[in-house]
Amino acid sequence: MDTIHACFKEKIGEVLLPGDVFSFRLPESGDGSIKTEKIICGPGLRRNGEEVQVCKSGILRHKQPNMYWIDSQQRRYVPAKGESVIGVVTSKSGDIFKVDVGGSEQASLSYLAFEGATKRNRPNVQVGDLVYGQFTIANKDMEPELVCIDSCGRANGMGVFGADGLLFKVSLGLVRRLLAPQSEIIKDLEKIFPFELVVGMNGRVWVKAKTVQQTLIVTNLLETSENMTSQQRQTLFKRVAEGSL
Amino acid sequence: MSPMKLCVPGERLCSTEDCIPGTGTYLRHGCIFASLAGYVLRKNEGEELPVISVVRETEAQLLPDVGAIVTCKVMSINPRFAKVHILYVGSTPLKDRFRGTIRREDVRATEKDKVETYKSFRPGDIVLAKVISLGDVQSNYLLTTAENELGVVVAHSEAGAQMVPISWCEMQCPRTHAKEFRKVARVQPEYLQA
Repeated sequence: MDTIHACFKEKIGEVLLPGDVFSFRLPESGDGSIKTEKIICGPGLRRNGEEVQVCKSGILRHKQPNMYWIDSQQRRYVPAKGESVIGVVTSKSGDIFKVDVGGSEQASLSYLAFEGATKRNRPNVQVGDLVYGQFTIANKDMEPELVCIDSCGRANGMGVFGADGLLFKVSLGLVRRLLAPQSEIIKDLEKIFPFELVVGMNGRVWVKAKTVQQTLIVTNLLETSENMTSQQRQTLFKRVAEGSL
Repeated sequence: MSPMKLCVPGERLCSTEDCIPGTGTYLRHGCIFASLAGYVLRKNEGEELPVISVVRETEAQLLPDVGAIVTCKVMSINPRFAKVHILYVGSTPLKDRFRGTIRREDVRATEKDKVETYKSFRPGDIVLAKVISLGDVQSNYLLTTAENELGVVVAHSEAGAQMVPISWCEMQCPRTHAKEFRKVARVQPEYLQA
């Protein structure tokens, strides 16, 4: 029982490189008491016959009861189905818009994939607009497809947004931290001044505050909080809050 | 046998009194002219005059016909159709690769509107299909896999190993044990090699 979990446990929190291997040799037991255990390999881990190989560099993480994955730093986004991203409309051709999401290909967005859109009632989308949508098709063999409605047909916060404000790019790790349920960064930022925030899983963040100066302050704080510990971040935010008042 | 003579389009081969025009030739002003570039073939048909024809290759090319079972390789996929290259007609390999298209509604016989091309084929798969139409000049052969014996025969997983079919719609990689969706062909037992 301990062999497989023990192999992983001793490496939790350590930095692993691609090519590191966890191999299990099930002990020979005469009385036939081999217990089968299930392990879920998350992103960065891959099974290869009798061993588990690491295919991304990063820190090994564990979630009870049996999930393991590699937490890696990455700035390049690879489209995946179900993820909500911020895209920029680059062209309109016939029935579909081409949207730049930061991946290797531009995604296509049909004009019918908006709430309340019909063939007669076309949505008001221009080239250069920002859209927040979800991927319905995203794999390495086909062009990704975006929609701005959910499965019930409601917008649910998706669609065209952002007349003003600022769009900037951060790493994917920071985006995941911002989107976590109890994100400390967001909580600390809220105390300084109010602002609107849209976070896309492709590493793009859109911010709008009351004045241009406040918008720029929030942008800079978000970009720098990537490489700071929570202690450093809180002292910095406190200094900014006192300075702006 | 004398070596075959080469000719170009427009070359006058002989007059109508000597031979009967065959494929690759045309009749003008009482003479037979070549319309293809290739070898001149003269065949004796017995009592009648010999038939003169122009062929590209010395062997005749086998063309896929409507209703023929073809073996093809998937080149690219699209939510609406899959583009393939036809490699074999029946069991004879082709010298040139013809292009074919498998439309989304021709992948399966049942539940045609729920078909997802990504869950039926992937680029690089070898597929057994049947020709339903020769298409126009521009468009390719139209193929279908809407039968039990048609579909994916050989497929490689994302890890690179050849996958083993486990049902009509799933295949499994022997190395990573990951399952992938394909429209799998049920190969007849007599064609399987143990």
